Amino acid sequence: MGDFLKLVQNENMKIYRRLRTWIMFGLTALLTIMFGVLFSLEGGSTVLSAWDVISQLFFLYFLATIFSVIVASDIVAGEFTWGTIKLLLIRPWTRTKVLLSKLIAVLLFTIALTVVFMIAAMAISFLLFHKESSDIFAQGDSPLRYIMESLLYKYIDLVVITVFSFMISTVFRSGGIAIGLSMFILFTGNIFTMLFSPARYSWAKYVLFVNMDLGQYMGQGAIIPAAGMSLAFSSWILAAYVLLFLVISWIVFKKRDVAA
Amino acid sequence: MQKKTVVQIKGVSKKIGSKTLIDNLTLDIPAGQVFGFLGPNGAGKTTTIRMMVGLMSITQGDILIQGSSIKDEFEQAISHVGAIVENPEMYKFLTGYQNLLHYARMSPGVTEQRIMEAVERVGMQHRIHDKVKTYSLGMRQRLGVAQAILHKPKLLILDEPTNGLDPQGIRELRDYLRELSREEGTTVFVSSHLLSEMELMCDTVAVIQQGRLIDIKELKSGDSENELHEIAFEVNDPQRAKAIIGEGRIEENRLIVNAKRESTPEINAKLVMSGISVFGIYTVKHSLEDQFLEITGGGHIG
Repeated sequence: MGDFLKLVQNENMKIYRRLRTWIMFGLTALLTIMFGVLFSLEGGSTVLSAWDVISQLFFLYFLATIFSVIVASDIVAGEFTWGTIKLLLIRPWTRTKVLLSKLIAVLLFTIALTVVFMIAAMAISFLLFHKESSDIFAQGDSPLRYIMESLLYKYIDLVVITVFSFMISTVFRSGGIAIGLSMFILFTGNIFTMLFSPARYSWAKYVLFVNMDLGQYMGQGAIIPAAGMSLAFSSWILAAYVLLFLVISWIVFKKRDVAA
Repeated sequence: MQKKTVVQIKGVSKKIGSKTLIDNLTLDIPAGQVFGFLGPNGAGKTTTIRMMVGLMSITQGDILIQGSSIKDEFEQAISHVGAIVENPEMYKFLTGYQNLLHYARMSPGVTEQRIMEAVERVGMQHRIHDKVKTYSLGMRQRLGVAQAILHKPKLLILDEPTNGLDPQGIRELRDYLRELSREEGTTVFVSSHLLSEMELMCDTVAVIQQGRLIDIKELKSGDSENELHEIAFEVNDPQRAKAIIGEGRIEENRLIVNAKRESTPEINAKLVMSGISVFGIYTVKHSLEDQFLEITGGGHIG
């Protein structure tokens, strides 16, 4: 019945008609540009090529992750907090479709934010840094290819955390818990990997944290991965986790009595 | 079947854990009426309504709307329904119009023209492009009605719609509902614990208590001729009037007699002939509230 794209359009309206969304876009672009300018003021323009700067600016991508988590944490929980869920669910659409439209809207937002980030990073880098040769990228390697590949891995990392946040938002109907737990995952992942290295504990390679950074398999300088771990292995593990998160969200959302 | 039914609630129960909230409720809602759903707080009104619109699962039984099961044919069944469940919560960061657009997109065939029609119907055309956060409660309630009638539903469900409204807001709402029911043939199902309100709004009232249906009363039925009414005669000397009629009780300066409607003139004539001044005659209407308290026995929650 009806046109499913209109549901996505609705979710988009609820994201982009809010001031905070534009603050997020603004901050992402502004901070990226600001750090580019800082690098150049530090005398970087004689040392670094534009591609070097872009790869340096990647550390700012965690902003995009945080903002994506915030939007995902709110998209279901917000409806419960506002009480609008009651009016949303009494339309001729099954809950599955309503939830799917929300997931799609979140993913579209993560893509938009990533594009804004990349445009800002590339614009400032190519504007201020004109050095031809790179110290980071070896002669003959394609820096564009490298940048795009690591961006893809970073984006996958972002999607995993965002979907996790989406699940928590759906299960606990609280944006605060969703943001908190997602941030916890974002910042404790490295510590966990250090403590329970898959090299020492064989079970650890199935843990989410250890597999989230697909960039660890890139380039010649990559650390020798622990037994049985590879890009393909980690990709499958991540896919399995994402699927699990989505199935949990779906079941909980479908079954829940809307009582409050 | 002398009347068409819009909703059939068939043996519906709702259990949460060991607690039974709704116990084998069966109710038919006839088309074209304003149908009241009355009960004390905690009787299960909201639970029933939430099951009717699919917000809560049904433990046992089924609810059919226009013949479609809300359990198995949700999209089909719910497309006939417009509802406000408790307070109409809106997206405060959107304008009234954007809120309506949001819901319009979710129902097939609602044009922008239809949105403006609904806006005019509730008299919101001047403020519809303002953000909802600037609206008063009364205006939000009107917007709530507008979103509920956008897709011209056959059935309008309102849960405690008068909660938090001032008397003028309540009156306006009542007028909309009557208008809708009269002009568009919409069936209105409205729940409340405000008895006096129900009396003014509804054609029929179903009374529920502790999850069970207790009684169904028709309010707007014509007075049956043979029924005894309490008729009050306002007179100058109630003592003497009582002696003349030979029955009744005295309340202040009134004599109250149990009699058929048609015997009112006779009694009046008797009084006047005996030189009693009659200042007023009226039927003492048992308010729904009295009946309600009678039925529910004072209304114990539990």
